[in-house]
Amino acid sequence: MPDPKIGHDRETRRLWPALALPGTFWLIALFLVPIYAVMAVAFSDRINLFGEPIPAWNPVDWQFGTFSTVLQESVSGIYQEVWIRTAIYSFWALVICIVVGYPVAYYTARLAGRRRGLVLALILAPWWINYITRMLAWVNLLQDDGYVNKFLGLFGFAPHSWLNGSSFTVVMALAYGYLPFFIIPLFASLDRIDGRLLEASRDLGVNSVRTFWAVTLPLSRLGLITAIVITALPMAGDYYTNTIVSGSPKTNMVGNQIELFLLNGPQKNLGASIVLLLSIVLVFFMAYYLVLTQRASRDTR
Amino acid sequence: MWLTVGLGAAPLLSACGDKGSASIEGGKAPYPLARPSHPVTLSIKDSNPPIDDGLEPESGGDFKILNYSDYMAPGVMKAFGKKHNVNVQVTPYNNYDEMLAKIRAPGESFDLVFPGPSVLSKMVYAELLQPLNHSYIPNLANLWQEYQDPWYDRQARYTVPYTIYGTGVLYRTDRVSEVPANGYDLMWDKQYAGKVYILDDLGEAIGMSLLRNGITTDINTGNAEYVSKATDSLIELIDLVDVKVNINAYSEIPEGTATVHQGWSGDAIAGQYYLPKGVTPEVYAYWRPDEPTERVIGSDVIAIPKSAQKPVLAHLMINDLLDEKIGLQNFGWNGYQPPITKFDADFLVKEGYIPKNIMNAVIVPEDFDSGLTFYEVSPATEALWRNNWSRFKAGA
Repeated sequence: MPDPKIGHDRETRRLWPALALPGTFWLIALFLVPIYAVMAVAFSDRINLFGEPIPAWNPVDWQFGTFSTVLQESVSGIYQEVWIRTAIYSFWALVICIVVGYPVAYYTARLAGRRRGLVLALILAPWWINYITRMLAWVNLLQDDGYVNKFLGLFGFAPHSWLNGSSFTVVMALAYGYLPFFIIPLFASLDRIDGRLLEASRDLGVNSVRTFWAVTLPLSRLGLITAIVITALPMAGDYYTNTIVSGSPKTNMVGNQIELFLLNGPQKNLGASIVLLLSIVLVFFMAYYLVLTQRASRDTR
Repeated sequence: MWLTVGLGAAPLLSACGDKGSASIEGGKAPYPLARPSHPVTLSIKDSNPPIDDGLEPESGGDFKILNYSDYMAPGVMKAFGKKHNVNVQVTPYNNYDEMLAKIRAPGESFDLVFPGPSVLSKMVYAELLQPLNHSYIPNLANLWQEYQDPWYDRQARYTVPYTIYGTGVLYRTDRVSEVPANGYDLMWDKQYAGKVYILDDLGEAIGMSLLRNGITTDINTGNAEYVSKATDSLIELIDLVDVKVNINAYSEIPEGTATVHQGWSGDAIAGQYYLPKGVTPEVYAYWRPDEPTERVIGSDVIAIPKSAQKPVLAHLMINDLLDEKIGLQNFGWNGYQPPITKFDADFLVKEGYIPKNIMNAVIVPEDFDSGLTFYEVSPATEALWRNNWSRFKAGA
């Protein structure tokens, strides 16, 4: 008589890899193949009749001339400013996300009580409306004779031109657009903190401010980092936000440069090279994130 | 990052496996580059003949047009669809790069497309277009003589003209008190900061800077120093006036979003249809150089893609657009003038299509004798202009 336990084990042994199949397929079809296509275009040195690169599918044919030019121009040439701008905008938008998002997530997880469902629904409400539509709504609010200027006028402020290629507007728009992405993972992490730890802290005579710094913040660190990563990655590749609220070359980010080459002209090898560079930069941050999470999970153990 | 890669990969993949995939070497064009002094007769291959005479027009299903948005009157399309029992569909593009990408997309077909002389030779060489059968287009006779046999397409083998236009500057008369002799200077004027726009078209933008700065009147120049100088001057605009780029002068000026906007003559004429309630056309005006030899002029054409599923209907629509009545209806909607002989300035003003103060936006045949036109240039020159344009777009 076969041992039912062994049969079960054999089944699960097949089941686990099977569960990974959709994910593996997803990864190959939607990440590895596209990134290979990007490389084939970036490393091509032949152009067709329309000035477009002819993809070099065979790695033997890869030429790195275009890529190294783009790299050079990124480090100390015409794209340098675009990269710096992208970093600065993403950084400040993240700071705003943290300053605004952390208290909201904290309130929702710890203090909202029975209203928690409602608060969560309100945080997610913007997602019911298309991102572009929301940004266009801001254009209406921020234009010279828009409600924002009218409101400021009540306090005697002269109308300000918000949409004239202003870095401030772009940063605010980015922060606004990505804030829900920031709050949700942070909320999940704050929500998981065992309330008894906080009680213990208070029982030991620590006031609530110190409890926050000594208990809550360290325990939510992983959630905070996840939230930062989840918001920072798409922000760095964003191009439509500043197209809508600024439209000036002054505020162009890396995503706009990629858009210019890939969607508005044949020089797709330049665009593909920037895509690769951006990916490399982000992979670097991603790796740092993985190290941090590993370390954090070791610490909690 | 995944987002970026995902967005990037789609157009990349669509670039693969197209018709014109032969590589070109050394920056030289394998096709003829037409100039008024060197007119080109585009070749017709046995493998790509025009349709036969006297065919019955197709009916039912979709009739697919590839065109700029807002470039053909909805009323004209609707009437055509009703008459021939087809559903007229427009796939829009913002510039020729986008048009070329869409027309070359594998498996895609269009019945009508609206290119221009600056991309024509290349498109014919890549067999993207089919030759026309003139027996379906008797209205060709309604056009200016020179456009029945134009320099870029002798014998009108592949194209008929659609519109003619000039490039200049639209400005708000209520905010601009004085127009300098060199009207392009309006865009380099700090007092209009934040409300200055240039065309999102690398040829028009850099070409305008070449002229404004007196660098050269050859707006097709392959001289790297000239193009670079002109681009530097455009880059100045970024800090000087917070310059912005789009092709919506026809609405931005009447609505007041822009004070100064580089724009086409058709935008100046169409602007009257975009005025807010109670505002009269006098609120804006159009500037072009006085000297005919310094004026930038251009034309767009109509052609039938090789992939057309309804080529007979496509011929009929071309004939319709050259019809005096339908042509006028179309012009009355998009503001872009067809080179129909009957439509001279007096006629258009009398019919009430042109407000008095923008009479100078009407194009006359003489404009084409001496004006400056964007030609089809060599791949090397094209790359030079593109590289400079991306320098401007980087805001460096």
